[in-house]
Amino acid sequence: MRGKRLLVLSILPLLAAVALVVAVGIGAVAVPPLEVAKIIGGFLRGTLSQPSIPAETIILQVRLPRILLGFLIGASLSLAGTAFQGLLQNPLADPYTIGVSSGAAVGATAALLLIPEASSGFIIPLCGFAGALLALFIVYKLGSVGGRLPVVTVLLAGVVVSSFLSAVISLGMLLAGEQMRNIFFWLAGGLGQRGWGYLALITPYFIVGLLVLLYLARDLNLILLGEEDALSLGVEVERTKRWILVAASLITAGAVSVSGLIGFVGLIVPHAMRIIIGPDHRYLFPAALFGGGIFLVATDTFARTVIAPAEIPVGIVTAFLGAPFFVYLLRRHREKYRF
Amino acid sequence: MSLHVEVKNLVFSYGSETVLDGVSLSLAQGDFIGIIGPNGSGKSTLLKNMAAVLTPDSGEIIIDGKALAHWKRRNLARRMGVVGQGGGAGFNFTVEEMVAMGRYPYLDRFGSFKPADRQAVERAMHLTGCYHLRQREIFSLSGGERQRAILARALAQETPCLLLDEPTSFLDLGYQVELLELLQSLNQREKLTIIVVMHDLNLASRYCRKLFLLYRGQIYAGGSPEEVLTREHILEVYRTEVLIEPHPLDEKPQVIPVAAAPAAGSENSFKKRVHLIGGGGSATPLMKELFVKGLSLSAGVLSVGDSDWVTARRLGLRMVEESPFSPISPLRHRQNLELIGDAGAVMLAPLYIGPGNLPNVEAALFALEQGMPLFVIDNPPAASRDFAGGGGVTLYRRLHSRGALFQNELDVDAIIRLLLPASSPFPQS
Repeated sequence: MRGKRLLVLSILPLLAAVALVVAVGIGAVAVPPLEVAKIIGGFLRGTLSQPSIPAETIILQVRLPRILLGFLIGASLSLAGTAFQGLLQNPLADPYTIGVSSGAAVGATAALLLIPEASSGFIIPLCGFAGALLALFIVYKLGSVGGRLPVVTVLLAGVVVSSFLSAVISLGMLLAGEQMRNIFFWLAGGLGQRGWGYLALITPYFIVGLLVLLYLARDLNLILLGEEDALSLGVEVERTKRWILVAASLITAGAVSVSGLIGFVGLIVPHAMRIIIGPDHRYLFPAALFGGGIFLVATDTFARTVIAPAEIPVGIVTAFLGAPFFVYLLRRHREKYRF
Repeated sequence: MSLHVEVKNLVFSYGSETVLDGVSLSLAQGDFIGIIGPNGSGKSTLLKNMAAVLTPDSGEIIIDGKALAHWKRRNLARRMGVVGQGGGAGFNFTVEEMVAMGRYPYLDRFGSFKPADRQAVERAMHLTGCYHLRQREIFSLSGGERQRAILARALAQETPCLLLDEPTSFLDLGYQVELLELLQSLNQREKLTIIVVMHDLNLASRYCRKLFLLYRGQIYAGGSPEEVLTREHILEVYRTEVLIEPHPLDEKPQVIPVAAAPAAGSENSFKKRVHLIGGGGSATPLMKELFVKGLSLSAGVLSVGDSDWVTARRLGLRMVEESPFSPISPLRHRQNLELIGDAGAVMLAPLYIGPGNLPNVEAALFALEQGMPLFVIDNPPAASRDFAGGGGVTLYRRLHSRGALFQNELDVDAIIRLLLPASSPFPQS
């Protein structure tokens, strides 16, 4: 297992790099991978401040930010999903389970409805993020009992808040009139028309959340053996749960406020990675990060090219391609896989 | 590594339900302590308070002179290992990975295993016999194997004290004894302090040096197994009529259930005692049957070592004893008559009659003369049991003519009807 874990964890970043380069090359204007690598290399070294040829403009201004954002969103959802499944000790948990994402959706819907100029600038993601934080606050308050966060009450509070907010969104869409289509597209999730600014917007949350999760990975492992057992092994269980909840929610809030509700990544990639690399979160978190990133980059590439010049919302593709892949994994490992 | 634990006046409640109501106890390094008690008596709650999993409402637990509340969990985990009742989703960690988690309190956050850590883990797996399972995933283990793996994790913590919450409850007899023998050897060889919550009174008696019997959130009795496991304690706490027998090997009290105790109220109806006259095993079936019905019994005169005597002693009956192979002396006979004097009824078992025990039949006659109801089980008939040259048969004739109730076999209901007051609200037929 040790050897396999290290192998997987060294292959995944390479795979991610290859996926990025290949994905950047694919599109209406095809660019060979070597060329892509050269352009990105130049960009990274700073020798290419002013794009000169069209390929460079397309790659650096359009595709690269979108694909990096896709990677970051995929990584975020997968990481948050892993954390929520562990924290809530529930295989059905995903980043949307506890309602933070619904909060983001309400924020974004409200922005689209109430602010005429919402589509420009960062109004939607900022409102989405605010909505997500508000939802997290409510779930946290509803879910805590006497200073503790029992898994069951957090889960129930999350489901309740989530259902309530979904109703709010449905009502909003009903009242939206001509904005309804925009809201629908936002909710379906997508990565189109996102430039570097979006990347800059959510990277800090992602990094902070990631560091917190990695810091607490070993503690989370012990909590999975049972909270009482973890206590007697010296884990500060409540503090750990609190921080993991906040970190995973921040990561989710960032991702959802930028890209809408892209489903499936946060549910399936954590399970797939757990099958491949085992349940130890010290390895599972990094694996989920790369796995989710690669998965979303791949599905988004498919989503934007298969019926080009039109695009399919990537959330549809993730489920479409992800479900069969997961069934395959599960069937191959069903004898051995236990959540 | 020495350890001292003191529990002072502990009170704990779940909501409005008080589970622990002033528990105090103390234990020292090397103790092997069993916490026993009926369901809901607060055993596990006490253990969880001691393990700092639950926080008491009032009272305190002091470990090595420092209140539990002031201990850092990490430091506490180096002093006390806990084997709980399990739970948690589990995931598919291997046995080795799980046992290795026992080293958590010693590791730096991002630090890796040192040789000492690896040694502790391997030693714990060897001790508990789960080394060969180390590559197996937890979920694929049987209940007994899983229990051993969890114990191994606690041992990997290398603490001077182990707390175990019903560690044998899901194990078969073989694993139960194996686990307790392992604990015993850890206790004896490594001077490990062991506190174990147990349901099985007999195993607790055999392996624990000291028992605390919990009842309604308080310590009802504490001390050696002999002091704690008495018929009276168990009748009160478990509402069960039991026999206490010494274990054939180590004389530790073993509890043998007899029957559920009669409901309060009906007890009073049986205040009157039945006195049994027997010998040579003739009264044993009668004693057993009447005892199970909850009647209060006495017996006499029985020879020490005689099988009726053994039964009477096991059942804890009042009795008059005579030395083995001796005729009944006037003193014992008189004592027998005294016991008869304040009984509610007398029963004469179909004993073999010889010159030495003729006074026993005379005692039956005495009862009749006192106006006491006398039941005579005359099967086989007295003539075939009389080895006293006809003296026995003569006495039986007189019993018959004076109105003794002759029966072929024991009619418990007849006796109960006789002993109950006429107006009893508890008809017993």
